Amino acid sequence: MSNIAVVATSSVTPADVSRYQFGSRFGRMDPVCQLGLTAVEALGVKFGSRADIGVIVATNAGSLTTDVQYWRTRNEPGGVSPSLFIYTLPSSVTGEIAIRHGLTGPNLCLLGGCDQVLGEAAEWLRHGEATGCVCVECDVVATDAGELAGVPVVARAWAAFLQRGGGGIPLTENDRDLRSLCARVRA
Amino acid sequence: MDQLVTDLKSRIIETLKLQDITPGQIDENAPLFGSGLGLDSIDALELVVMLEKHYGIVIKDIEEGRPAFASVHALAEFIRAKQPTK
Repeated sequence: MSNIAVVATSSVTPADVSRYQFGSRFGRMDPVCQLGLTAVEALGVKFGSRADIGVIVATNAGSLTTDVQYWRTRNEPGGVSPSLFIYTLPSSVTGEIAIRHGLTGPNLCLLGGCDQVLGEAAEWLRHGEATGCVCVECDVVATDAGELAGVPVVARAWAAFLQRGGGGIPLTENDRDLRSLCARVRA
Repeated sequence: MDQLVTDLKSRIIETLKLQDITPGQIDENAPLFGSGLGLDSIDALELVVMLEKHYGIVIKDIEEGRPAFASVHALAEFIRAKQPTK
């Protein structure tokens, strides 16, 4: 993996969201998309609308929080919010990142595959499917969703931008997940 | 300004969770979709639900919805036509 460079990494919580300007449509997004977009923004990389840059998102909880909200409002008069429905798709965060940054390369959403993100990205880069890859791990579980599903409450996202060649810290065989990679880069 | 138009602007912002936009910034004659506010098909569905919830008006099909959603002003006229007392 020595020819693959880690250009930038980030680690964010909901407290970081307000540091960036996302435009008027940010408010309709679910917390997973908002935090995922924030993690990518925190990379500080200008991608410049590229067809050769891919996006990979991994999430353990997926759209659990939005699913619970959807379920709780399903019998409301007038029906469930249509925009809430679209965010019951865990892959929507992948799309929102691609739309915001004009990235039309390959994209992938891994459910529970947080230790596969870097490996998948490296494969893309190695085989020329992309020259760069935005990698994101994002999990948001609100209190009520956590209690209902019996999973820990969390709101955290990590991101990295990998590139084939160029400057940056070399990606190693030991780099599996974004949390560890971000910690290594920080150290 | 027309009270219904003012109300609609606030409801649109609230319903669509538009950030950093005030009612005063919405031109009631500007297109809601494409240019203007730049709304999309999901927003259209949200507005259909909002009309039913807040005004008791059901839009049956796209032919009825298209002119109604041309602008805030057109939407206000549409509501008035469906609810003559408002």
